[in-house]
Amino acid sequence: MFRFMQKKCDLSEFGGRFTLLFTAWRKHAQQTAAVLPSRSLIPVLRANSRGSPLADNPSLRGLCSGTLKANLQVMAGEELPGVLILDVGGTHGVLENLAVLLKKHFRVITLKEFHENKEEMRKKIQSIFIFECRPTIDRELLQSLPNLKVIGNSGVGVDHLDLKMISNFGVKVTNTPHAVADSTADIGMALMLASARRLVEGCQIAVSPDTKYFAVNWLGVEVTKATLGIIGMGNIGYKVAQRARAFNMRILYRNRNRRRKEEEEAVGAHYCEKMEDLLQQSDFVMLVVNLTPETHKLIGKKELGLMKPTATLINISRGAVIDQDALVEALQNKVIRAAALDVTYPEPLPRDHPLLKLNNIIITPHIGTATVQAIRMMAEEAIANILAVLNGQPIPSEVFPK
Amino acid sequence: MWYHKPVINEGLLQSLPNLKIVATSGVGIDHLDLKLLSSYGVKVSNTPFAVSTDTADFGMALMLASSRRLVEGYQMAVSPNTEYFPADYLGAEVSGATLGIVGMGTIGYKVAERAKAFEMKILYHNRNQRNKEEESAVGAIYCKKIDDLLQQSDFVLLSVSLTPQTHKLIGKRELELMKPTATLINISRGLVVDQDALVEALQNKLIKAAALDVTHPEPLPRDHPLLKMKNVIITPHIGSATKKTRHLMRENMTESIEAGLRSLPIPNEVL
Repeated sequence: MFRFMQKKCDLSEFGGRFTLLFTAWRKHAQQTAAVLPSRSLIPVLRANSRGSPLADNPSLRGLCSGTLKANLQVMAGEELPGVLILDVGGTHGVLENLAVLLKKHFRVITLKEFHENKEEMRKKIQSIFIFECRPTIDRELLQSLPNLKVIGNSGVGVDHLDLKMISNFGVKVTNTPHAVADSTADIGMALMLASARRLVEGCQIAVSPDTKYFAVNWLGVEVTKATLGIIGMGNIGYKVAQRARAFNMRILYRNRNRRRKEEEEAVGAHYCEKMEDLLQQSDFVMLVVNLTPETHKLIGKKELGLMKPTATLINISRGAVIDQDALVEALQNKVIRAAALDVTYPEPLPRDHPLLKLNNIIITPHIGTATVQAIRMMAEEAIANILAVLNGQPIPSEVFPK
Repeated sequence: MWYHKPVINEGLLQSLPNLKIVATSGVGIDHLDLKLLSSYGVKVSNTPFAVSTDTADFGMALMLASSRRLVEGYQMAVSPNTEYFPADYLGAEVSGATLGIVGMGTIGYKVAERAKAFEMKILYHNRNQRNKEEESAVGAIYCKKIDDLLQQSDFVLLSVSLTPQTHKLIGKRELELMKPTATLINISRGLVVDQDALVEALQNKLIKAAALDVTHPEPLPRDHPLLKMKNVIITPHIGSATKKTRHLMRENMTESIEAGLRSLPIPNEVL
C-alpha cells in the first residue's frame, strides 16, 4: 500500500495528463479516505502548469505528501499534528463535515479541550484553523502555544488578525484566496441584480396578503449596458468584471496597481487614475478591496456625494470600508439611489440600526462564501496551506504583515 | 395594448369598424386571439426585442437570488430576532453548475451569454437546433429530448412563448425527471408550468426550489400554497420592468401603429 501511494505521489511523472491523473487520484484518495484537491484547486494547479502541473504545485504536493505522511505516522503509532479550533458545531464552531476533513490530517483539539488540559495539549498544537474569524488570536494564546507554527485562516480576509503580533511569535499566517473567488463574485452580481431590479421588494409585494394587483408602473433600473465601477480588482474583482462583461456593462476600475493591458482588454475594463472619475461615472459601484488601514472608511460622505443620485453602492468586502453613518445619511437624503451590503460593521447590526429601516437597501448575512462547495474548498485550501508549512514545503497562500 | 388591456373580444371588434392594428406591449401574445383578429382584418404587432435583455437579466437575477438564498438571507439580516448569523446558512454555487434553458429564442440566448461568464455548463432545448456558431459562442449543448436536459440540470430556466404546445410543458413527469437538488426558474408564462404539480413537487422535495416571475393567475390568490413556501421566490412579473425598456417598448409600438395606419409594412408584426 505504501508503494502504491508513493507511486501516486510521484508528481513529476504526470506531465500534461492531468485529467486522467485526477480521476485516478480521486479514486485512490477515496479508498484511502484522503482529503481531495477540489474544483477550486484545479484551476490553481492548471494555472501553475508548465509541462508538469502537479510537480510544480505546492498545494497538491502538500496534500499528497501530507496524506502520505499522516498515514505513515498513524501506522507508526505516532500522533498526527495538533490543530486548534474553536469548537465543532454549535453557534460558531466548525461545521461537522469540515471537522471530519480536519481529522484526516490532524489531531483536532477544541478550545475547551485545550483549556481543560493545558499542560498536555499546549505542546501538541502546531496549527490553528480559523473558521468564521474564530478562535480569537491574542497574545495570551500565542504565548501558551510553544510549538505553534501556522495559523490557517478559512477565507481570504485577515483583518481580524494582528499580523505583526503573530509574526513576532514566529508563526506564519495563511489564507484561502482561490476558494472564495467564484462564490464571492457571484454574490456581488446577485446583489447588483437584486438591487437594480428591486427583487426583494418585488417578492414582498408578490406574497403580501394586501396585494390585489401588480402595479404596471413599478420599475427598476437596467443592469445591461450600465456602467460598473469596481474598486479593488484582485482575484474577486476580476471575476466580477468577467461576469459583468457578459451583461455588456461598461467596466471602470480602481486598484492599487493597474492590471496588465491583456487583462484589461479581456474584460473591457478601463483604469481610473482618480477615484472621482470612477464614482462620478458609475451606475453601480462595487467594493471588492481587502480591509487595511488604507481602505478603512474608503467610502465616506465625500465619495457618496460624488456618486450619481441614480447609483447603487454594493459592498462585498468588509463593513468598515464604508463610513456607515455617512451611508445612512446618503440613503435617507437620496444622495444615492440604493445600497446592497453583504457585509456591515458589526455583523449582525444592532437591531435598532437605521440601516435596517431603510427601504432602498438590501442587507445579506455575510454569505459571500456561504455555499456548500465554497465552504468545503476553503477548508481544503486552508488544510493544504497548513500542511505545507508543517512539512516545510512552499506555502501556496502565505500572508505577510505590511 | 398595455399589460394585456383592454381585453379584445368579438364585441369590441364589432364596434370598431375602422380598427386597423392592435399593438401589444411585450413579446407575449398568448392573451390575443390571433385568428379572431385576422378574421376582422386587424393587424397585430408586439415588441419582441425591447424586452429581451431585461428579461434575460432578470432570469439571471432569479437564479442567483434563489441559489444563494438571498431573500431569506435578507429577512434574517433585518429580523428583530436575529442575534448572530449561523455558519451553516448555506446556499449552492451558480458558478460551474449546469443550466438547462428550455426555449432558446432571443431571451434564452441572452441568458446563455450571461451564464457562460459564470462558467456554467449550458444545455438547451428548442423547437429548432441553433446553428453551430451560435451554439459554440455560448458553449451550449442541444438536447433534442427535454428529458436529457431535465435530468442533468442544476437549474432549469423556462423562456418559451406560451402556445398550445408549451401549455403545462413542465408537469409532474418533468418535475420528477429533475434532480432533487435542482431549481426551476420561470420567466415565460405561468401556464407553461402545471402549478399544482409544482406545489406537490416542492412539498415532497422532488426539486429543491423554484423562482417564478410569472404565475397563473397574476397575482396568485392570497391563500395559494406557493406564497407560503420558504424555497420559492415569486416576483410580480417584472422581467421587463425598467424605465429604458418601457420607453423603448412604447417607441416600438408607436412605430408599428403609424405604419399600420398608413398601410405600410409593419415592424414587429405578428403573423
